[in-house]
Amino acid sequence: MNTKKWIELGLSKGLSDVEISVSESSSLKLVAYEGKIEQNTISDVSTVSIRGIYEGNIGKVRFEYISDEQVDKMLDKVIENAKVITVKEPAIIYEGSASYPEVKANDFDFSSIDMTKKVSDLITLETTIRANEKVSNVQTAVYQENSSGAILTNSKGLHLTRKNRFAYAYGIGVFKEGDDINTAYEFDIFKTYEAFDPNKLANITIEKGLKRLGAVSLPTKFYPVVFSNETFSDLLSVFSNLYSAESAYRHLTPFENKVGEKIAQANFNLIDDPLHENAYFQIPFDDEGVACQKKYVIKDGIFQGFMNDLKMATMMKQAPTGNSFGGGIRTTNMYLEPGELSFDDMIATIEDGVYITDLVGLHAGVKTISGDFSLQASGFKIENGKIAFPVNMIVVSGNFFDVMNNLVTLASDLKFDVSGFGSPSVHVKSLSISGETK
Amino acid sequence: MLKKEVIQALLDEALETGADFAELFFEDTNQEVIRVTSKDVSNVSYNNVHGVGVRLIKNNDVVYGYSNEVSEDKVRALIMSLRASFDGEKKEAVALKDALPFDNKIKRPMEAVSAKEKTDKLLALSEVILSHDPKIVQSITQLLSWKQSILVANSNGTYQDDERHYARVILMGVASENGQMQQVFEGPGRAMGFEIFDDIDTFALAKDVAERAVHMLSAQPIVAQEMPVVLANGWGGVIFHEACGHPLEATAVAKGLSPFTGKLGQAIGSSVVTAYDDGDVDGAWGRTSFDDEGMKTQKNLLIENGILKSYLVDYRNGLTMNHKPTGSGRRQNYKFPPTSRMNTTYIAPGKDKVEDIIKDTKYGLYAKQLGGGQVSPATGEFNFAVSEGYMIEDGKLTTPVKGAMLIGKGHEVLFKIDRVADNLDFGQGMCGSISGSIPTDVGQPTIRVSKMTVGGSGGQA
Repeated sequence: MNTKKWIELGLSKGLSDVEISVSESSSLKLVAYEGKIEQNTISDVSTVSIRGIYEGNIGKVRFEYISDEQVDKMLDKVIENAKVITVKEPAIIYEGSASYPEVKANDFDFSSIDMTKKVSDLITLETTIRANEKVSNVQTAVYQENSSGAILTNSKGLHLTRKNRFAYAYGIGVFKEGDDINTAYEFDIFKTYEAFDPNKLANITIEKGLKRLGAVSLPTKFYPVVFSNETFSDLLSVFSNLYSAESAYRHLTPFENKVGEKIAQANFNLIDDPLHENAYFQIPFDDEGVACQKKYVIKDGIFQGFMNDLKMATMMKQAPTGNSFGGGIRTTNMYLEPGELSFDDMIATIEDGVYITDLVGLHAGVKTISGDFSLQASGFKIENGKIAFPVNMIVVSGNFFDVMNNLVTLASDLKFDVSGFGSPSVHVKSLSISGETK
Repeated sequence: MLKKEVIQALLDEALETGADFAELFFEDTNQEVIRVTSKDVSNVSYNNVHGVGVRLIKNNDVVYGYSNEVSEDKVRALIMSLRASFDGEKKEAVALKDALPFDNKIKRPMEAVSAKEKTDKLLALSEVILSHDPKIVQSITQLLSWKQSILVANSNGTYQDDERHYARVILMGVASENGQMQQVFEGPGRAMGFEIFDDIDTFALAKDVAERAVHMLSAQPIVAQEMPVVLANGWGGVIFHEACGHPLEATAVAKGLSPFTGKLGQAIGSSVVTAYDDGDVDGAWGRTSFDDEGMKTQKNLLIENGILKSYLVDYRNGLTMNHKPTGSGRRQNYKFPPTSRMNTTYIAPGKDKVEDIIKDTKYGLYAKQLGGGQVSPATGEFNFAVSEGYMIEDGKLTTPVKGAMLIGKGHEVLFKIDRVADNLDFGQGMCGSISGSIPTDVGQPTIRVSKMTVGGSGGQA
């Protein structure tokens, strides 16, 4: 792909600046069922995105049908789209940051591993889960490897590249005892093939599933609630848009006028760190080519400021934070700073509470702007400082902004999820739990 | 696009190592998004999806490959790589038939409408929301439209093209008062061109969005409890979609993962419940002339007076289940192999009147608008959020409530439907599953569920 020629063509059509990004990805996906591979998928896909500035407005296109004639057509489309824009906002194509952080490339070549090895490992995962006597079925078992490369280049001389390779695997077990059915899985992502341990993954899955058998609902009332590190990461994730400068500008966040003010309790420290070593991916630059950097979003409960892209940075007269991803403002690796308490010590202080390990329906049960959430959940009952029995078919409800001010303790068990959010387990003073009467 | 003779030859080659079935799926999709924020056109973007998917099946095992490069050489390379998975005697592909005409009755294709006409409409709608009340602080209106052109050819002789036009109008209003904020969203969609604006009174809807956002500022958090729930018509059908639609898909049934596996001919719900999935409702968001396996779409009776009549079945699962395909093979794009999915799914109207249902409910929740939901087909557990709700007390609607979350088990809730009104209506959404995100309609008349667990944060001492 001759991006240089395309940029020149764009400039000759009257665009003042042109940016082209090309992404190429290939993948292999294996699905096992009943001891054999039932589906094998291979792919390779390239996508080109062009952004161009025409008379001060920005136009965008993205396409998979790639040829020189198509690029010519698409550049016209960029101009056509830019002409429609009426909003008076800065349109910027970036000349580049002074320097970029160095990150270790994930470049293990998964395709170098023999196919028969991958097949046999995935089947081991599937059959090991299935072999457990309480497992009635394995819904699916999946191994997938991805390899992707991207080039970001523009008429201001920027030329950045990045590469990423990783694989993941999981198996969903259906656990059954009498009429009681539940499903459990453990998702593992790895950067070298050696890290894939199908037996270990199967055993964690089985352990999770067995623990949940015999789950019951709970009487409806307010309980002290412990969110597992994974579920609190989920909550941090669904509310992360509230720290975006664009949300502030469009009046879509209650934190609009709260920079420098206390919005959480004193030990609530929320950090966006593109380079955190325990996160799955380290990100040197964003989609506009801005160098990524670590920053506090909330420090000692005080809101530090919004994450931005180039447009919002210019409008708010602030330095760019390197948070432009996927056409909007997104976090890199955002996490809540852990406390010092072990998980067991956290639980030990609770007499009659609920430990939540799964939240379902996050896309529906959360009102991000008002902070209200009401979510189907499952987990365990906590009695006299110990995990007592499994619980399901409950709804946990509350307001996230209240939760940020009502954490009794934060555990030390910081864990990142694959989408880059991280949290320790947290103990919330009191939340509504609704269940059913038997 | 490859010539028909070339496609025929490629299908022949695909069966050389003993595959029972080979399929090529070609796609070119062009999507446009125009967004107005308050009084300005703030974003216009264009997205093209283009590629080919190759599927081979042998003994129900699938190999699938896809690429954005659509050339004879590339498709052949994919086929060679995929067929290496099989080792058997060569089979013959059936000669490709002639494509049947597809019928999509588009009056004003989006590409023929000027950008100005589109943005004028969105700006006017935004103004309706903004000017409705001083408490409205933000409005966003969007027009999403795309045209998906496909051609599917398989070794059973199917050679079918189709052209799908989609239009969706997004209306959002945000109201704010004393630090409280409430957002309301509507997103009606049709398989139409610009005539969607003739089919739907978007101005009335915009006003309604603003009114509800303001109204919800005074809503109280609902107190968690079990109670009867009256689900309003239209979007209320998301309960059936989540709780029963997904578990009736062959994807879940074929592996015995659904609570409805093996229940054909048996009662799976109360006798007031009759339900359909229809792939061929004129202009409907969930409609396609042909499915993504080239089969003509049809109206499928799923449940009749509580008795299970049919599943939703695609070609491959049909082989396993020994069940005729129902025209339900769907996929988001060429990057997914197709599987059984819903189109326009709804509970058929009954004879009750809405007023009577509410009047006969002493205490309960009236769920006027629902947000999305989710279901686990294996356990049947589902949840869905009530975005606009009212308490019912002594047969009358009283306090507006917020934050209600309904949970239950699909196979249980079907038996708890005790009233069905006569006011069938539909709502539109994007449904996500293993073959990607696709447009679907949900639908129902107003119904009552005799008892549900309702979560909420109200009532703290």
